[in-house]
Amino acid sequence: MHRPDDHPHASASFTGQRKLAGDEGVWFFISADITLFALLFLLFMVERGKAPALFEQSRQALDPRLGVLNTLILLTSSWLVALAVHSARLGQRAAVSRYLTLGMLVGAGFAVSKIVEYWHKIAAGITLLSNDFFMFYFALTGLHFLHFVVGMMVLAVCLAKSRSDDLDDRYVIWIESSACYWHMVDLLWLVLFPMLYLLHTP
Amino acid sequence: MLERLKYLRVLAWCGPVFLVVFIVFWGLMGHNIPPFQPDVPAKVIGDYFRSDANLIRLGMSMAMSFTVLYFLWGLAIGKVIEYGIEKDNNILSTCAVWGAGLTVVPIMVSCVFWLAGAYRPEALDDSILQLLYDTAWLLIDMGYMVTTVQMVAMGVAFLKDRRAVPLVPKWLAWYGIWVGFSFVAEVFMPFFKSGIFARSGTLNFWVEFFLWFFWIVFVTTYLFSSIKRLEAEARGATEHAHTPAAGVGKAVGASA
Repeated sequence: MHRPDDHPHASASFTGQRKLAGDEGVWFFISADITLFALLFLLFMVERGKAPALFEQSRQALDPRLGVLNTLILLTSSWLVALAVHSARLGQRAAVSRYLTLGMLVGAGFAVSKIVEYWHKIAAGITLLSNDFFMFYFALTGLHFLHFVVGMMVLAVCLAKSRSDDLDDRYVIWIESSACYWHMVDLLWLVLFPMLYLLHTP
Repeated sequence: MLERLKYLRVLAWCGPVFLVVFIVFWGLMGHNIPPFQPDVPAKVIGDYFRSDANLIRLGMSMAMSFTVLYFLWGLAIGKVIEYGIEKDNNILSTCAVWGAGLTVVPIMVSCVFWLAGAYRPEALDDSILQLLYDTAWLLIDMGYMVTTVQMVAMGVAFLKDRRAVPLVPKWLAWYGIWVGFSFVAEVFMPFFKSGIFARSGTLNFWVEFFLWFFWIVFVTTYLFSSIKRLEAEARGATEHAHTPAAGVGKAVGASA
C-alpha cells in the first residue's frame, strides 16, 4: 500500500498531527445524526414490542432481495469514495475524479431501487398510513433517503472542486468530511436493512 | 467600529426573554407543552377553551406581544456575523436575519387562532374549536423551513470564521445546521394523529422543540462572548490606529 508521503504531491496535512479524518465539526454533526436515528430505532423496537404479530406480518410484505441490493450498492459506492479520498491524499486528480464519478453512478442505483420499491408498495395500496410498521418503514427509509440525496449533492461538490481547486490540505479535509458523511449513510442503512427487512418474530 | 456594536447586547438579551415568555405563556398557559394529542375527541378541546378561556387569552396575548423578540435576537446574531465574520458578502447574515424575522410570523399568526377560539368559546361548536387548535398547530409546525433557513445560514457563517478561536465553536455551528435539517421530520406531522410524528409525538414535539430551545440557549451564551470579543477587537484596532508609529506610517503613506 502506498504511503501518502511517498508521493511528491501528497497532502501535507496527512503527514501532520490530525488524528480524525475530516473536519471535527462534521463529526459532531454525524454523531448527533446517528443519535437521532438511534432514538428512532429504539422507538421502532418499542412499538414492535407492542404489536409483534402486526410488525411480522407487515415485514413479510417487504422484499429482502431489494434490501440486499441496496446494501451492496451503498457498500460499493462507499468503497469507491474511500478510494477517491486515498487518491486525494496522494494528489492524484484524475483518480479522484474517476472514483467520485463511479461512486456517484453506483450510488444512483440506490435511488432507482428505492423509487421502484416505493412504487410497488404504493401500487399495492401500502402507504405510511397503512399501519405502524409502514409508518416507520416509510418515515425511516424516507429520512434516510433524504440523507442519501444530501450525500449525493455533497459528492457532486467534491467532484466539481476536484476539477477546479488545488488538491491541498483544505480539499483533503473537504473530501474526507464528505466521505465520512457518505459512510454514515451507509452505516444507517446497515442498521435499517436488518431491522426492517430481516428481524422476524419467532 | 465600537459605535456600531452599541445596542447588540440589549438585542442579545431578547433571546432568553423570548424563550422564557414562549415557554411560560405560549407553552404552559396555552397548554402547548405538551399539546393535546390530535386524536382526543373534539369535546376535550372545546371544554378546554371554555374552562380556560382567560388563561388562553392572557397566554396568547403575551406570547404575541413578545414573539418579536426572537427577530431582535436574530438581528443581533446577524450583526455579529456581518461585523465579525463577513467581509464583502452579507448574504448569510441577511438570510439569518430574515429567517429569524419570518420565524415570528407563524408563531404570531398561530397565536391568533388560539385567541379566536378563546374569544367567545361558548358560542362555538366543539368541532370549530378543534379546527382552530389544529390550524394553529399545523401553522406553527409546518412553518419550520423559515427557522431552518436561519439556523443553516448562521451555521455556515460561523464555520467561515477564520479566527484561531472562532467566535462560535464549530460544534455549535454544526448543531444548528443539524437541528435545522432535522426539522424536516415535521413534513410527516399532518399525516398522523398519534405516534412519534404527531404534533405531540416524541420526535415532532419533544425532540424537535427542545433541540431548538437548547440551541437558543447555547447561541445566546456565545452571542454575549462574541460581542465582548468584537468590542475588544475594535478597541485594539482603535488603539493601534492612534499609536505614534501607526500615525507616522499613515502620514508617510498619505504623503506618498
